[in-house]
Amino acid sequence: MTLAFLSPSADALCRSPMERQARAAGASFEERDGWNVPVRFDGEDAERERTRSTVGFADMSHLGKVEVQGEHVPELELGRATLAEGVWWLPYTQERAVALCEPAGLAAVREGLAGGVDVTTAFAALAIEGPLARELFARFTAIDLREQATFVHGFRPGSVARTPGAILRQANQRWLMLFGAALGQYMWTVVADAAESLGGGPVAADVLTPVGERTEVAPHA
Amino acid sequence: MSYVLTCPNCGPREVTDFGFGGEVNPRPRSVPSQRELNTYNYFRKNVAGVQREWWFHRSGCGAWFLAERDTRTNEVLLTELPGETDEAPGAGRAPGGVGEPAGGAGGTL
Amino acid sequence: MSRLPQRDGQRIDRSREVLFTFDGKRVFALEGDTIGSALFAAGRRTFSRSFKYHRPRGLFCCAGQCPNCLVQVDGAPGVRACTEPVREGMRVEHMNARPSLDFDVMRATDKVGTAFTPPGFYYKTFIRPRRLWPLYEKVLRHAAGLGKLRKSQREREWRTEYRRRHADVLVVGGGAAGLSAAIAAAELGADVVLCDEGAEPGGRLLAEGGHEHARELASKARAAGVELLSNAPALGAFDGLVPVWQGATLHQIRAQRVVYATGTIEQPLLFAGNDLPGVMLSGGALRLAALYAVRPGTRAVVATVDDRGLEAAVALRDAGVEIAAVADMRGEDASDSSLAFKEVERRSIGVMRGARVAAARGRKQVERVTLASDHFGEMDLACDLLVVSGGSAPATSLLSQAGARTAYDEERGVFALADLPEDVLAAGEVAGAGALEDAELSGTVAGAEAAHALGKGDGDSRARAEAGRARMGEIARRPANVAVPPPVTLSANSRGAGAHGPPLRSAAGGPEATTAGRSHRRRSGKCFACLCEDVTVKDIHLSVAEGYDSIELSKRYTTTTMGPCQGRMCQLPAIRQMAAETGQTLADVGTTTSRPPWHAVPMGALAGRPFEPAKRSAIHGRHRDLNATVMWAGDWRRAYDYGDARGEALAVHEAAGLIDVSTLGKLIVRGPDAGELLDRLYPNRFSNLKPGRIRYGVIASDAGRIVDDGTICRLDDETFYVTTTSSGAGAVYEWFSWWLADWRLDVHLTDVTQGLAAVNLAGPRAREIMGKVTELDCSSEAFTYLDGKQAQVAGVNSLILRIGFVGEVGYEIHFPAAHGEHLWDALLEAGAEHGLRPFGLEPQRLLRLQKMHILVGQDTDSESTPFGAAMPWIVKLDKEDDFIGKWALERLAEDPPETALVGFTLANGDVPTEGAAVLPHNGSPMGQVTSARYSPQLGRTIGMAWVPAELAQDGASVTISDNGRRLRAQVVTKPFYDPDGEVLRS
Repeated sequence: MTLAFLSPSADALCRSPMERQARAAGASFEERDGWNVPVRFDGEDAERERTRSTVGFADMSHLGKVEVQGEHVPELELGRATLAEGVWWLPYTQERAVALCEPAGLAAVREGLAGGVDVTTAFAALAIEGPLARELFARFTAIDLREQATFVHGFRPGSVARTPGAILRQANQRWLMLFGAALGQYMWTVVADAAESLGGGPVAADVLTPVGERTEVAPHA
Repeated sequence: MSYVLTCPNCGPREVTDFGFGGEVNPRPRSVPSQRELNTYNYFRKNVAGVQREWWFHRSGCGAWFLAERDTRTNEVLLTELPGETDEAPGAGRAPGGVGEPAGGAGGTL
Repeated sequence: MSRLPQRDGQRIDRSREVLFTFDGKRVFALEGDTIGSALFAAGRRTFSRSFKYHRPRGLFCCAGQCPNCLVQVDGAPGVRACTEPVREGMRVEHMNARPSLDFDVMRATDKVGTAFTPPGFYYKTFIRPRRLWPLYEKVLRHAAGLGKLRKSQREREWRTEYRRRHADVLVVGGGAAGLSAAIAAAELGADVVLCDEGAEPGGRLLAEGGHEHARELASKARAAGVELLSNAPALGAFDGLVPVWQGATLHQIRAQRVVYATGTIEQPLLFAGNDLPGVMLSGGALRLAALYAVRPGTRAVVATVDDRGLEAAVALRDAGVEIAAVADMRGEDASDSSLAFKEVERRSIGVMRGARVAAARGRKQVERVTLASDHFGEMDLACDLLVVSGGSAPATSLLSQAGARTAYDEERGVFALADLPEDVLAAGEVAGAGALEDAELSGTVAGAEAAHALGKGDGDSRARAEAGRARMGEIARRPANVAVPPPVTLSANSRGAGAHGPPLRSAAGGPEATTAGRSHRRRSGKCFACLCEDVTVKDIHLSVAEGYDSIELSKRYTTTTMGPCQGRMCQLPAIRQMAAETGQTLADVGTTTSRPPWHAVPMGALAGRPFEPAKRSAIHGRHRDLNATVMWAGDWRRAYDYGDARGEALAVHEAAGLIDVSTLGKLIVRGPDAGELLDRLYPNRFSNLKPGRIRYGVIASDAGRIVDDGTICRLDDETFYVTTTSSGAGAVYEWFSWWLADWRLDVHLTDVTQGLAAVNLAGPRAREIMGKVTELDCSSEAFTYLDGKQAQVAGVNSLILRIGFVGEVGYEIHFPAAHGEHLWDALLEAGAEHGLRPFGLEPQRLLRLQKMHILVGQDTDSESTPFGAAMPWIVKLDKEDDFIGKWALERLAEDPPETALVGFTLANGDVPTEGAAVLPHNGSPMGQVTSARYSPQLGRTIGMAWVPAELAQDGASVTISDNGRRLRAQVVTKPFYDPDGEVLRS
């Protein structure tokens, strides 16, 4: 239990670094797996419509994250995330990867990984979904996210809004962006402002299209 | 200046993604003379031409790597992780920012 | 409003009127008009006043290239009237004229002031007496400049943004060649973007009868999947990145291949009075007539060097303009077989071969033109429009920025492309393929080649491209059939007339007086080489006479090419003049360096969405709730104080205080070699630190200088928890991982800076408060100074470090950031009855100063060593193994520092400025004050300073020189508060 102080406790509610911004944007919250999670902004229909016609973004900071290094890193292909048994394996280098999971599964993932370091609270995350998702990203990152450059399940560490980050393409029109937790408020303002100019806005994680384990078409892989 | 560097882990990225670690300047492997120590600490070749140098993918994978770049044109001829060639990587001295991490009023706990 | 009858391809919609104001007067325009076309249609001929002489200037290029129609629109200066579409209700105002555009008192500078305004006049004429310069400056600034920017313009708040676009192929320029290139590349499967500065793609086709063809090409491009950007000029080429400005969006386009189809720029001709309103480029006159159905004049004289002027004469005649004469500078022996020539003849338009314009005259606009030729001498013609076409200069600026080279083409008299970098292609007129079918072929070839280079296409497409390329070679070898305008020669009496211009030495081919006595008086009108900056041919002559005889020097001295046109109108004429003045060839003179921005762009368009990555602790919202003064500290936003810095500091001494220190850098260093790594990176030893204990460490560079500091807690045999300064967090992580990349020890680093919140609970009541929120035994026996223990605090897994940066018993609690507000609230609630107060950064600085705890970067600089900073004890030179800084520190240990960091006090309560100089007795400065505060608790001023080493002893007296004050301070070497650390350890 040397590093127990890195892991969120079950005895106290966890809050996302973007909670205040979500509340100001009209979110109502529910406790889920120890986290205070936005469950509604302006209504399920409007939010779902956003992810289908423009672009919606949802706070996913509650996802569990465990870092493994060195000999504990499984065999992974750089640039490609692997989804296995509900856990996304994100390879940063041959020597370092992050396992991403639902908060309920965090303890099991952490304990199942020799040498794993719990970095759940070190990263904030936003899911971005919709036909204009790429246009949204184009407003704050130089990473090439075109189909030919970033296939489904492509994983791209790089600068987002001038800060260190990473982008995972979870499905055809669904993306997950990871960035430093202390930059939550900043990133929310950037993404919300850019989304607004494209007719998009915040959504609850519930309205996002579920991501299946099957790798979708990756013609340029 | 907005050229592209290819991170050996992440692929091509804008140069602003990276931290520059200066030209490769191997640390003496045994106790240096005063002159050798000063040369190592304070002198750089600063070539007009192809230079082997350190880069850090600060905004991405967080790895150090080596590049060969023409300082006149910013053409990057090669990037590789340390140890990929037989040559000993030989870390140099402080990369750009590390020498003075705490600037003025910002240097606070 | 007088308009021509309905014209094919016109852009205006006659059924929809648009109303706007110009200088407060209402102007009726049609939908599709530009400000320029609407004003011209309403009878306006003067659109601006020139930069220096306030001469009236009128529409000239009608393509957004020259400076002649700059106006202010809704408060925004520098808008080109000739390309800016009209909008209902827009307020358009003139610039640079007082009191009005039609009567400008500053015109006096043109009539009488010339002698005072030679090139560089502001360095010469207005220099003496020197004390009057502030007045001169005010007057000059008032007289010159373009437009006025109000300091506060709330109504003009403008949100702009960047849009990153990756592409396989970018095509710059949407004329026939550019569209053909885009179509060819896209049809081979490339991802193509095309940007064009016009309102719609088509380029010259639009105004020259090819609008339907242009629209066909554009829809074909769209169908092939090309992203077409209109009203979107490319601004420059930056290592393959091309910024393209489109309204509120700045596209940053990075393409694997860029095809430049930027066309040519029609050049003006040089003659006396060549800037009069009514003198217009042929392209400008054609655009007015074709796109806006505006008649550019009623009776025109045309002067040209090639078929372009003939084609314009034909088109203008067909639009109902009387053509008084065409002066074709090509001689009698030039070919007359072109289609344009036949069309001119068919209309019985008189063409004078070998004739040129000698002068244009008129009060406010052209009234008469003098033509000259060897054949007929001189001839005056009345007209209200003088159409000039001085040849087509390839628009190579963007290509040059992208790495292309140009060379002088003697036959055409222009600088043409010589070679291109690998990832750059050129197509159309800029590459010498001017005729429509040639331009399309060259575009198709370039587009296909770009796609082929990216692995698209097949054998057939490659064969077609090769055949096309061969055909392009044949086209390039065709004779040019243009006249190269000779340089202007100055009349005898004007050569020496400048205030400072001595007569020129006679260089080979240099200026000769060619005008006969009877005519030179009327030719003495100014002949402008540069319209933007009001630079005359004579000014260039003078600059050469004064020694500025290279084109780059002359550019800087006369400011030719530095104005809003960016050399479009003046580069070539200036080079021609320079060549004549210096007797060099044009190839020897060469061009000036092309620099961005190629197209004028408002600064706001470059601003984009604000990206100011501010880090905030997980508790930041609470600081806001508590009305903290929030300030920048490195890249973090932090609570400076909660409104009462002194009271907060006192609370820490008297009861307890709570500060958010989440900004500290935090690293997990883990692995079998973790102890060895730290031993190699720090001058002191960590491999012998016991689990559960803490040690302070300073990181030194290999030069022995202090780089950073922090505390290190050993969690178990293989795991250390390293903290760094707030601003050093990133650099220390990079430093550690950099050495690790070399040493390859079995250690892993994890940066948990942003993952953990941290608070420091300190003060005499801190232990009691801890007792209420944790079951951990916090007694002084069980939890001693420099212990690190893990426990639940208010239900949160925490690492608690007993350290004392602020000098009282303290518990630094590190815990997951997601519980930040929860733990903060729990501690404040538990401490309320004990007098616990939150305290900010400023009280912390005072408290640490009382303990003489240094702040790296505040009390140390890049030259500070641990010995100078009074910390020799952290350097363990007896460590057997090498460590970073060892060699330098060994030498430094033998060679005592000249200055030392000490504390000082001031009895009278003065607080010296941080940075004030420390003077030894009667000497020059030997150090500086690094920190100083008044300590209410101690009742005196305390501080730290670098002083001469011999004065680094208790009771020594030093003088501080601070903004003229001399302050006497006493040196103190031990902490001001609790010097032996009894409180801290209790």
